[in-house]
Amino acid sequence: MNYVVPVLLITVLVYGLIKRVNVYDGFVLGAKKSFDLSLSIFPYLAATFIMVNCLRASGLDIYLVRFLSPPFRLVGVPTEVVQLMLLRPFTGSGSLAVLADVYKQYGVDSYVGRCASCIFGSSETVFYVASVYFAGTKVKHTGFAIPIALFCNLVGGIAACLLCKVM
Amino acid sequence: MNIVWTVVTVAAIAALTFLDPQSVLTVCLDSSSQALKTALELCAVYCVWLGVFQVAENCRLVEKLSRILKPLNKRLYGNISEAAAGYVSLNLASNLLGVGNAATPSAISAIRETEKGETLSRSGVMLFVVNATSVQLLPTTVIGMRASLGSANPADIILPNLVTTAITSVIGIALVFVAYGRAKK
Repeated sequence: MNYVVPVLLITVLVYGLIKRVNVYDGFVLGAKKSFDLSLSIFPYLAATFIMVNCLRASGLDIYLVRFLSPPFRLVGVPTEVVQLMLLRPFTGSGSLAVLADVYKQYGVDSYVGRCASCIFGSSETVFYVASVYFAGTKVKHTGFAIPIALFCNLVGGIAACLLCKVM
Repeated sequence: MNIVWTVVTVAAIAALTFLDPQSVLTVCLDSSSQALKTALELCAVYCVWLGVFQVAENCRLVEKLSRILKPLNKRLYGNISEAAAGYVSLNLASNLLGVGNAATPSAISAIRETEKGETLSRSGVMLFVVNATSVQLLPTTVIGMRASLGSANPADIILPNLVTTAITSVIGIALVFVAYGRAKK
């Protein structure tokens, strides 16, 4: 798996040479677009990060976890990973910090640790991705996109907790 | 998003004001500088991939890829422009190869091709869901972290993770079909 990216890069560049296109100019032209792209994403990132960091600093998320853990336990999700499932749609780095906490507290190879790994690996930062994708377009109404993605995260989390019991 | 963001942020700032009024501005400023750092890091990542994508496009590699993936793309996304089909194919290929870094810039380029109105189209919703639930062959971040914390077998979550992502992909794509019907050809 370590070779996927290098092989990919070499293939594309060498193929470009064989086809006699200007590889250097092409690369520079493409790379130029990255600045506009990240600039248009920045304000959305800032808004999301402010919300999440205020939520974590105020400790409100702990109350939310306490409130939500009984229904989660009912479907087989241990309380220890509810915070992770709650923060995951909003922030990659924030939920990574929570994952590290879970590892430290319960052990990497414990059931809870493996659950948390699987939840993190199989879910996506839905709100973050949405702001990144739709920045720079005129889209205001995203329809079912976010609800479906969130629902899948939830199902994935529950499935992860069940699968970690048997696998 | 407007209501969710405002309600949560106001509630959190209010609670934080009770605890420690001085920290409110610090937290906000820390967050925005964190956002700036992330945006710059993303800029670096996109720079590499968008550069390589452009080369692939110039030598018609993307065209070939999208011809191979045409049947699948037609079914998932319906009738989309040639440029969008190229980006969508790159996106699918990056997801399948597990190069998540490359999946995002190609998805953004595709969205910018397909979305011209204010309401997200069926293809846009599908692209979003496919990416949000994408099958992951190797959860590299998690494996790396487990290894660094002394796990006995850091890679033993690959299988449950693979099964979970397969389940979420199927459910997600199925739900798009339920909500929006089949793709128009």
